[in-house]
Amino acid sequence: MKCTRCKKLACVSLPSHHSGFCKDCYPLFFTRQVETAIRREKMFTHDERILVALSGGKDSLALMLELKLQGYDVTGLHIDLGIPNSSDKARAKVETFCDSHELELQVLEMEKQGLPIPDIKKHINRPVCAVCGKIKRHHFNRIAREGGFDALATGHNLDDEVARLFANTLRWDTAYLSDQGPNLPAAEGFVRKVKPLFRLSEFETANYAFLKGIEIHSDPCPYASGASFTHHKELWGELEFRSPGQKFQFYHGFLKRGKQAFAAMERESGVELFPCEECGSPTSAGLCSVCRIKETVRESKAKDEASQG
Amino acid sequence: MITVNLEPDGAVIELHRTRSVIAALNKLKLRSTMAIVVRDGELLTADRSLKPGDTIMVRKVTSAG
Ligand code: SF4
Ligand SMILES: [Zn+2]
Ligand SMILES: [Zn+2]
Repeated sequence: MKCTRCKKLACVSLPSHHSGFCKDCYPLFFTRQVETAIRREKMFTHDERILVALSGGKDSLALMLELKLQGYDVTGLHIDLGIPNSSDKARAKVETFCDSHELELQVLEMEKQGLPIPDIKKHINRPVCAVCGKIKRHHFNRIAREGGFDALATGHNLDDEVARLFANTLRWDTAYLSDQGPNLPAAEGFVRKVKPLFRLSEFETANYAFLKGIEIHSDPCPYASGASFTHHKELWGELEFRSPGQKFQFYHGFLKRGKQAFAAMERESGVELFPCEECGSPTSAGLCSVCRIKETVRESKAKDEASQG
Repeated sequence: MITVNLEPDGAVIELHRTRSVIAALNKLKLRSTMAIVVRDGELLTADRSLKPGDTIMVRKVTSAG
């Protein structure tokens, strides 16, 4: 196959775009897609400050690098979850990457927040990933607000978005369906959230990461179950193979024609939010859910210690 | 014979009578947009041919979660 742009030997073939690119032209394709996403969805401008959530995975690192190359004012935020034999590796990967590309980085340690994830697993009787996800979103939003950032960017790609939309459509989760998309505007207590990679598939991001020397492998979290999303991604991989472009059409169609209907429904039943008494994050109750979790862990630990002593 | 290093599984698989990337992917039950294929540090499209003795890295792109 020949490169669509310069006719040299292609190294990436993209059936959904009816094109292929060589190693020099492929990053240009990637850049165009990110530029289009930012422009069409009015995500942010060159005058704004962007906080980028860095998990250590290829997508978030690729996003951070690409935004920097496009001249945006970006700062990375990594949350060290305090999970033995896992978090230290992810953190080292993010730190090494940011060092070598001269990228601004902040690290938040859950240990120092008094809430390492192993404590959640031990003391909270709920699926650890649901709580962990909530805690991460809480701190990303809090730090973005406290640091005066204009937007929080995450590395979600098209496959992530489609898999999640698909799962929530199967359940007809109207609350989710009303409030999802590549640009969620700032609201009372919440910073703007953007997903500049939403037009790019996992395959496209992996190729970019490879060509930019980003290590694609990341060790899975020892608590990950990951089953259902992976299944849905496989199903979609097959659909996409049979009709290239289907993934993007499904997601784009939802944004253009589906979302508003669900948003109108939810407005009628929306709840009012107040600042958390402890940390100021938006919540419908006195204490936000993360502060309540913290309290439960503290009480449970104290009880354990009392029964041991 | 072609040697495949399948990632992230870490498996090493030997394929016989496999003359192209697409043939290798078919034997591994993968579609061309589900994995990247690398030989000697170079990304290969599915239509590239392989020769006996080649070692390729096939990395599935779907990340969990
Ligand atoms: S797999 Fe679950 S526990 Fe591990 S980092 Fe992800 S959300 Fe947290
Ligand atoms: Zn080219
Ligand atoms: Zn709180």
